[in-house]
Amino acid sequence: MKKSPNKKIGYTVFILAMLLFPALANPKWLAIGSTFLIFSVVGLSEDIILGKGGMFNMGHALFFGIGAYTAAIANHTFGIPILYAIPLAILIPALCGIILAGPIIHLRGDYLLVATIGFNIVFLQLVENDIFGITGGPNGIFGLDTPTFLGFDLASPTAIYYLGVAVLLLTFYVMANLDKSKAGRALHYLRLDDLAANSIGINTRGYKIFAFGLGAGIAGLAGVLLAIQYSAVSPEAFNFMQSVLFFSIVLVGGSSLPGILMGTFVMFVLPEIFRDFATWRYFIFGFAMILAMILRPEGIFPARFGKIPDYFKKG
Amino acid sequence: MALLELKNMTKRFGGLTAVDHLNLKVEQNQIYGIIGPNGAGKTTAFNCITGIHPPEEGAVLWQGKEITGAPPHKVAAMGIVRTFQTIRLFTEMSVAENVMSGRHFQSNQRWWHGICHTPASRRDEKENWLKVKEALEFFKIDHLAAEPVGSLAYGIQRKVEMARALVSEPKLLILDEPAAGLNDSETMELVETIYSIRNQGVTILLIEHNMDLVMTLTDYITVINFGKPIAEGIPDAIQSDPMVIEAYLGSEDDDDE
Repeated sequence: MKKSPNKKIGYTVFILAMLLFPALANPKWLAIGSTFLIFSVVGLSEDIILGKGGMFNMGHALFFGIGAYTAAIANHTFGIPILYAIPLAILIPALCGIILAGPIIHLRGDYLLVATIGFNIVFLQLVENDIFGITGGPNGIFGLDTPTFLGFDLASPTAIYYLGVAVLLLTFYVMANLDKSKAGRALHYLRLDDLAANSIGINTRGYKIFAFGLGAGIAGLAGVLLAIQYSAVSPEAFNFMQSVLFFSIVLVGGSSLPGILMGTFVMFVLPEIFRDFATWRYFIFGFAMILAMILRPEGIFPARFGKIPDYFKKG
Repeated sequence: MALLELKNMTKRFGGLTAVDHLNLKVEQNQIYGIIGPNGAGKTTAFNCITGIHPPEEGAVLWQGKEITGAPPHKVAAMGIVRTFQTIRLFTEMSVAENVMSGRHFQSNQRWWHGICHTPASRRDEKENWLKVKEALEFFKIDHLAAEPVGSLAYGIQRKVEMARALVSEPKLLILDEPAAGLNDSETMELVETIYSIRNQGVTILLIEHNMDLVMTLTDYITVINFGKPIAEGIPDAIQSDPMVIEAYLGSEDDDDE
């Protein structure tokens, strides 16, 4: 499955720009750049559930939060170096995704949406009320250790930024791989026609749960990065509004790599540029949602189909 | 032993009995027809067999084993694959991608290959695409492989749906009104296609409204009316059965579609 030359150039330019960005940016923009990377990863993970699987998950900040809190608690309460907590911070959200999806996955569209909002609220209440005395209550957990790897201190904003680049590239790899696999296609089939997909032998329920597990695991990984970036976690970073943001990134951007990156840019970076307008800065956020839905209901860069391997054409 | 056997299969929707104690036996390599007036419960019977609406009473036996109430994806994996009366394709996707869905349960890939491929799963991916290519060539639609299926003519969409069912290598292919919406030449082509599918060793169970087609194509027929079987036999016997003429053939004007 070869990419068109334009697409190849596009990705090369994007990756080079990502790699060179710290040389040009001041600390404020470097921080925005890191957050862009983290939110892009969360956007991509929501795309697996919402864009590919077609399931209206309006509680995605939940999995992002579970990942961040897992890393923070592992570090703060149990003294595990934060980078070593990464496997746990992927596995625990993934398991939560699988367990929570089980009883609600048969719900359709808006019903599923309400149920996922419910999960998000329950999670927030648990951490705000300092469940088991380890979540730090409304203030969250702060003063986390800086990451170190093989003796190198990765505390600098530049190091954290490159950690974000690495995680985004890893996510790209998983997404590209998913696109060319039976599991990834199954998600497209069940989104477009659940009954037809089921009748041709696809365990639609199983693959929906798979999508939740995978999406939650990747969101959890992004959560660790957020905890590292701020050396802290706090409940308001994972509230309903954040879930709306991730949902909108997929809807406004469209279900594709450039779509999610564009969506993250529009929904997150643009408001930062307009930060000087203080309380008006979310104006563009709301406006982008309205405009995108009227002008491009499938998103700015919708998913493209008709991808067939080269050996198919040659014979 | 019959390939597929229905024993007193009954399906009710509230007070309505859509399928009423239906019995039939489909033998290996038969082309079996189910006919009946509109609303007689034919499609519901198919839905019961394929697990979309499990029957309330009776049993579905597959190669002698009871499979009543098995979910659709398990029924398909056993080798019972269907098409739909109203074509159900993945409209945004290409012809090849649509047909590829039929390879789903034949593929050896597991869920984790969606996260990370291995050399074996890449090979599996390629093998399955080549099977799809073969099927598109069989239906003479390989030149349309990359076209979005929603933009194609009705007759082509019917072929795509059959190709999708066929690449899954079913033992029993269930066709729900395969000639609906086709013109005469397309119908002729369909007859040949169905014969050549049967010659590959696939048993076929079909519902069809086009009487000429049913009479030429099938080896054995069950007629149902109001969910009840009213007659069964070879096409010649059915054509001369007074019960059938009264229930169905006599009112040919009504179901001229």
